[in-house]
Formats: sequence, structure tokens, C-alpha cells
Amino acid sequence: MAEKAKTAEEIAKEKRQKELAKELQATKERLRYSKRQIASVVDLNKCIGCQTCSIACKTLWTDDEGRDYMWWNTVNTQPGSGTPKDWEKMGGGYKVRFEGKVREPIKGKLPTRDEFGEAWKFNYEEVHKGSSQTTYLKPIGKEPEWGMNWDEDQGGGVFPNAFYFYLPRICNHCTYPTCLDACPRNAIYKRQEDGIVVVDEKRCKGYRFCIEACPYKKIYFNRKDVLGQKCIFCYPRIEKGVAPACARQCPARVRWVGWLDDVQGPVHKLVKKWKVALPLHPEYGTEPNVFYVPPLAPPRLDTTGKIDILKPRIPLRYLEYLFGPEAGKALTTLKAEMAKRRNGQPSELTEILIAKDWKGMFKPFDKDPLSLTWTRGKKG
Amino acid sequence: MIAEKVNYSKDVLLDPNCPHWVKFKGEKMKLSATPLANQPSEYIKATRDEKKVGKVKEVMVRAAHNGKEVFFHMEWLDAEKNLEITANDVFPDGASILFPIKPVTGKETEPPIDEMGKKDLPVNAWQWRSDLKEAQNTWAEGLGTTSWSEKCSITARSQWKDGVWKLVFARPLTVKENNPKKPESVQLAVGKTVKTGISIWEGSNGERAGLKAFSKEWKDLTLAK
Repeated sequence: MAEKAKTAEEIAKEKRQKELAKELQATKERLRYSKRQIASVVDLNKCIGCQTCSIACKTLWTDDEGRDYMWWNTVNTQPGSGTPKDWEKMGGGYKVRFEGKVREPIKGKLPTRDEFGEAWKFNYEEVHKGSSQTTYLKPIGKEPEWGMNWDEDQGGGVFPNAFYFYLPRICNHCTYPTCLDACPRNAIYKRQEDGIVVVDEKRCKGYRFCIEACPYKKIYFNRKDVLGQKCIFCYPRIEKGVAPACARQCPARVRWVGWLDDVQGPVHKLVKKWKVALPLHPEYGTEPNVFYVPPLAPPRLDTTGKIDILKPRIPLRYLEYLFGPEAGKALTTLKAEMAKRRNGQPSELTEILIAKDWKGMFKPFDKDPLSLTWTRGKKG
Repeated sequence: MIAEKVNYSKDVLLDPNCPHWVKFKGEKMKLSATPLANQPSEYIKATRDEKKVGKVKEVMVRAAHNGKEVFFHMEWLDAEKNLEITANDVFPDGASILFPIKPVTGKETEPPIDEMGKKDLPVNAWQWRSDLKEAQNTWAEGLGTTSWSEKCSITARSQWKDGVWKLVFARPLTVKENNPKKPESVQLAVGKTVKTGISIWEGSNGERAGLKAFSKEWKDLTLAK
């Protein structure tokens, strides 16, 4: 049977829907556009899992009601379930096709509060001032079953080849943020001046599509204010030439911050020149702007207890799962440059990674925040 | 639909169970799923099924005015009430009544109801959400453009009982505009006819934003003399 001819109304409707799709695409492209991109590199070989970054962030941004359960910065032991629990199994992100010309959104799960962990309080009063000799430090109220960094130092592997490392995470300020694409209110955009992804709280209505769509599960729902909230890369500090708190407070000199296109800067050198800093889960298709130097580890011991230098303790397969197919190459480059240095030859790469020049890690965002005047912004 | 002329006060008619309401004829309005192709989000388009959108299929609407204020009484079935956002995946129930802001004189001045109006053809929605204390006045000039004001003259009272939501909206016939050049509200008058439409969000079905049940076509509403 011949296909039924379309009515004039149906043709007009289809035409209009195409126009709407085009308009939507143009709007999202405008919101995604930035003149420059700020980026960060995290060296997992140096992270000691001390959570100073997490606390620096928390005291600055998320210590009030509604945000108290949020950790815009998390540090988790890998391998592990992460924050929120099992976030890597929650979907979201894009299926990238035709070399990036098409990005098809993938359905994601909305994590529960339990998967993030509630903001429990400890019984400090009771422990420090109470008369009981038998009490101990414990959460008040309902016994929590999960929280940020709950599976600390459990890691993977079997003795004597057990292994773990720490993975600090913030919002990736992606080049193709699925959160931005998901928002039906156009409340999420990349700041034109630096590519930082922010939620416009005057437009956000707390619909939570962004939380579903973000494959890194780095957006939190504020139940009190009915808003989606996330890491803002400390943009009020960036605007004054100060690095984000997580980076500047890091005692292990793990994080670099700078313009991705600054060819003289360490971020560009680590990501683009030496190619040792890789995005987390590049297969999610969002093009993160936080990059990681994958961890080297001591060699494995064989069954007789002897060192087997041919086998890495952290399986390459696992690092490739996290950082994509370039992980092996990055490790090879790192090892080669470390060998050069051991042989007394100069190595730009190891010079950067050692980070003797602390301020140089943040240029041009290397101002001391104490040298500036800060005022508290108006809420809302 | 006719908004009956009555002499009752605002307090009387705002009660969703006020016995006067059932005396008015009202109209059963059929609701449909909002078209997925019109959702202003590639993510929503890719991850939702239009067949599952718009759980509430029908709403009984009654209207009245007392010469100063206009009232809308809405009643629909909802087995599962969603009053508060108690968890990340809990969404409140909601309802709204929509009007073109500018007078409609023909097809070309009629804002597209399935696109929340368009540029220069703005729409005004009186919005109620079960988790919010107050009703909201919102306006839009196309998909994804809805804005709202801090304060408004709309009052809403609601009640959920035995699987039925009852909701009353009240507003003075005319309201002062914040910016007369960019009106944000419909202005009503006795004897005048305006276009109107309804939306219902079923929270338990994950409905929020453009995912909702709505009246596909404008209905005429006349404020009886």
C-alpha cells in the first residue's frame, strides 16, 4: 500500500520542529562558547589523600544548610566505589559519532542522597566535655552507611601486590558539558572569559536533568533552595588572579591551574606537549578540562617473592579504563623522563612535575588571597 | 468556558471544597503529552518516551469572577500525591493556567500553545507547585524562556484527598505591570473573552519543566457580565 500522503498540517509541523531543533542547537552553542579555557592538571603520583582540598572547598563554599552534604571536591581511593557510590555505573554523557560531529546524549541515573552520603555530625560535645569515660567519636543520629571516601584505602589487588591511589575530583568544566545540554531552562553556561561551567541560580528551578546527565555525577541537588549546585572553579578567586582553593591549599603540590592554550604554561605543557595528563573517562564524550597524570607504582612481586619489573603493580588495563587508551604511552613517557633525570640529564617534564616553583603552578593565577580585599557577595 | 459572575468573596471561593464550586458547569478538558520534539533539551529528547509523558489525561476546570477577582477551580485524579521534595528523585505535583499576554485578534496574533508562545507573542502562566508556599506568576516567549517574578498577586489553595487534587487560583482581574513595555501578566475584564490553556505535572511520573500534560489547543474563556 502506498504511504499515506502527509497533510499540509503535518508538513508544517515537521518544518516547525526542524526550525525549533536548529534554534535549540544555536542557543546551546552560544551557551557553550568560550573565548579561552581554563584547565587543571592533577598528578596522581603525588596525591597523598589528605583531603585538604576537600576541606578547603567545603569551608569556602558548602558549609551552610542545603549545601552541607555536598563535596564539590572529593578525593577517593581507587579502585573503589567513589562518590556518589558507584557513579561510574550511572550513565550520562555522550555517545560520540562521526569524529565528534554528533554527540548523542545517554540516559543517566539520578543519584540518591544515600549514594552521596548525608551530612552527619559527630558527637564532639559528648566526647570532649561529657562525663562518660566509655563514649567514643561517632556520628549523631542515624548510622550512616555511605559517605565521601567511605572505602578509603581499601583499593584493589591481592597481597603482596595490593595497590591503591587517590583520585581527587571536581567538576570537569567540560568543553561539551552534558549538564548544559540537558537543562531545559538554559540555566547552565560556560563563562565566555574562561570556560568555567556555572549554573545561573536565577534561572535554575531545580529540575535535576543536569544531575542525571552529568556522567561524572558532580552536580548536587540543594533541597533547601531547590537548585542544582556544583564546583565553580572558584571563579571569584580566578577573577582576582587567585588559584582555586583546592589547588592552592594542596600541601603535596599536586594541582596545576592555567590557560590550556598558554604554550609556556605547565598545564599546556603537561596536556598538549608531553601528553602525560589525560582526561578521566574520555569515552564519556564531554571533553573534560581537568586532566590527570596517571600513577606509576612499585613493581609486582612474583610467586617466589622476587621483584618482577616487567609487570606493573597497577594493571595497565585499570588505568586505561580510567584514562583511556593513552594511559600506557603517558606512563612510558614519565618513566623515560625520570630515567633521563636519574642519569643527570635535564628533563623539562620532571622539572614541572616536581614543582619546586610553587607559584609557577598557578600562573597567572598566582596572587596571594591574603594580599587582596574580599567582600561577601549577596545571596541569590 | 464561562467564568460565572458571582457575589462570593475571595475567602469563600479560595476554599477548594467550597460547595458553590460544584454548582458551576465548568468544562472537562482533555490533556495530552507535550511533544518530545519541542523539548528544549537534546538530553530530554533523547532519553524520554513521549508515550509515557502526560500522565494526567483530564482535568475539570470551573471559573468564576466577582467583578474584582477571577477564580479557577481545577480538579483531577492523582493516586499518588507528591507534596514535598523528600529525595533527589522525588518531584512535586504542579498545575498551571496559561494565557496569551497580548489580545488575540486572529491566527497570526495567537501564541503557539505548544511552544510557550514566541518572540513578541508572550504567554503568561499562573503556576502552582505542591512544594511551594506561594503561586508564581511566570511568562515566556518560547520554549525554555520562562521567567518569574519574586512577588505576584496570584493566590492558590490546594488539597489532595482520596486520590483527587483540588486547586483554586485567584487573582485580581487587572494587575499592575512591573514594566509596561514588557508586560508579564494577562489583563482581564468583565465581558471580555480571552484564550486559556492548562498544564498538569504528575510528580510521581518524573514530570517537571516541559514534561507534562497540557491542553493542545487554546480554549475561549469569557467573563460573564
